[in-house]
Amino acid sequence: MALTTLPTAAFATGSVGTSQLADGAVTTEKLVADVNFRNIIINGDMSIAQRGAGPSGAFASGQYIQGPDRYKIDISNMGNWKSSQSTDVPSGQGFNYSLKLDCDAADASPSAGDFIYLNQPIEGFNTASFKFGSSSAESLTLSFWVKSNKTGTYIVRFYDIDNQRALSQSYTISSASTWEKKTITISGDTVSGPNYDNGYAFAINWCLGAGTTYTSGTLNTSWNSVTNANQFVGQVNLADSTSNEWYVTGAQLEVGTSASDFEFLPYDVNLRRCQRYYFVINQSGANGGPLHPGRTNGSADINNIGVACPVPLRIGNPSVTIQSGTIMQVWANTFSMTSAGGGSVTSLVNTGSDSIRLMLNVNGFSGLSNGVAANWGPVISGMPVDAEL
Amino acid sequence: MIQTVEIFYVRNFDDTANIQGGYKITWSDNDNKTFVPLNGEGNRHYQEILEWVALGNTITDNGGGE
Repeated sequence: MALTTLPTAAFATGSVGTSQLADGAVTTEKLVADVNFRNIIINGDMSIAQRGAGPSGAFASGQYIQGPDRYKIDISNMGNWKSSQSTDVPSGQGFNYSLKLDCDAADASPSAGDFIYLNQPIEGFNTASFKFGSSSAESLTLSFWVKSNKTGTYIVRFYDIDNQRALSQSYTISSASTWEKKTITISGDTVSGPNYDNGYAFAINWCLGAGTTYTSGTLNTSWNSVTNANQFVGQVNLADSTSNEWYVTGAQLEVGTSASDFEFLPYDVNLRRCQRYYFVINQSGANGGPLHPGRTNGSADINNIGVACPVPLRIGNPSVTIQSGTIMQVWANTFSMTSAGGGSVTSLVNTGSDSIRLMLNVNGFSGLSNGVAANWGPVISGMPVDAEL
Repeated sequence: MIQTVEIFYVRNFDDTANIQGGYKITWSDNDNKTFVPLNGEGNRHYQEILEWVALGNTITDNGGGE
């Protein structure tokens, strides 16, 4: 039986050195599988869905979707859509979830300025390996699995937010309702690059439809300042029927000229990466969840509430949302009461972007003794903390 | 979409006066209330408030008399 590979034992120690390898015989692509955290896209396997699996109702432009974390929709009058975390996945690839967008109200004849695209915003701290803005600018490769009932040409835009420069590439969905893997490689931008900070620096935009404002020119396939007419040229209109749907999973953006196997992260690591941008203060008290220490301030307020974050948030001044129906409860001395009308967060102290602790002040209570220790928590449902880009 | 934005007030540490605590956003498409710090640098909701004001909308400020 012929050997197709030589076993390790066939080599004497030190017998294969640099001089035995022809120049270029061992390429970056053959080594890259060992590079950890090479995927710039967070939650590319769509496994984390802290906002719920969905499906959502219609959403406003710029809203982070219900379904997989870290993705949002940018839309202007391009029908209505529902998002969800779907279990429809390509067979045998290891994925358990995909992101599904389902057209809920059609726009068969979009106006010039209409558009919709799925967007993953990327933090500047995660773009250093691009080396953009120098002669060493690296090529990038985006790979993903996609499926739609509507075949045709689709556009992906790579967007340097800090410098308002972009590059678009097309891909083709060839077979209706069939999972296909797409790979797109682009050159690096030697002119400028994203800022190395915690800001909104870069984005991947999967277009699903656009009007002539964005399609009337020539597709911009090299790095240039954004010219609207050249952004999404050739894009099919996925919004033209409520029967239309689009799935994506296995999204990976990496440095290099070829796509490596998808980098599956441990679940807890993937969750923590998402929680840098969004987490929920879990419901407490009667629901059995954790409480958070604070102190009473006057008869109606609880101040200096410390809320532990799962990881350092991107910013120390996130937003906090009281969801419809949520109320707060406080325990102080022998006193326990719920807030009137849901209560309010009255302030949030900026504890800095490297802090793992938030400080909240809330009100909506009455009859509290001033200046005593209190334990606080939301009940009925949790309170999202948002540090998204 | 943003429906209203209001400056929210909190009692100071000595419980002697109201001081500005942040912005409260109400939304047109749900009943949620989102609270945004006064120092909103880097906060996406703060950016949305700025864009909403640039469209000609006005932040409500009742001076803590709510």
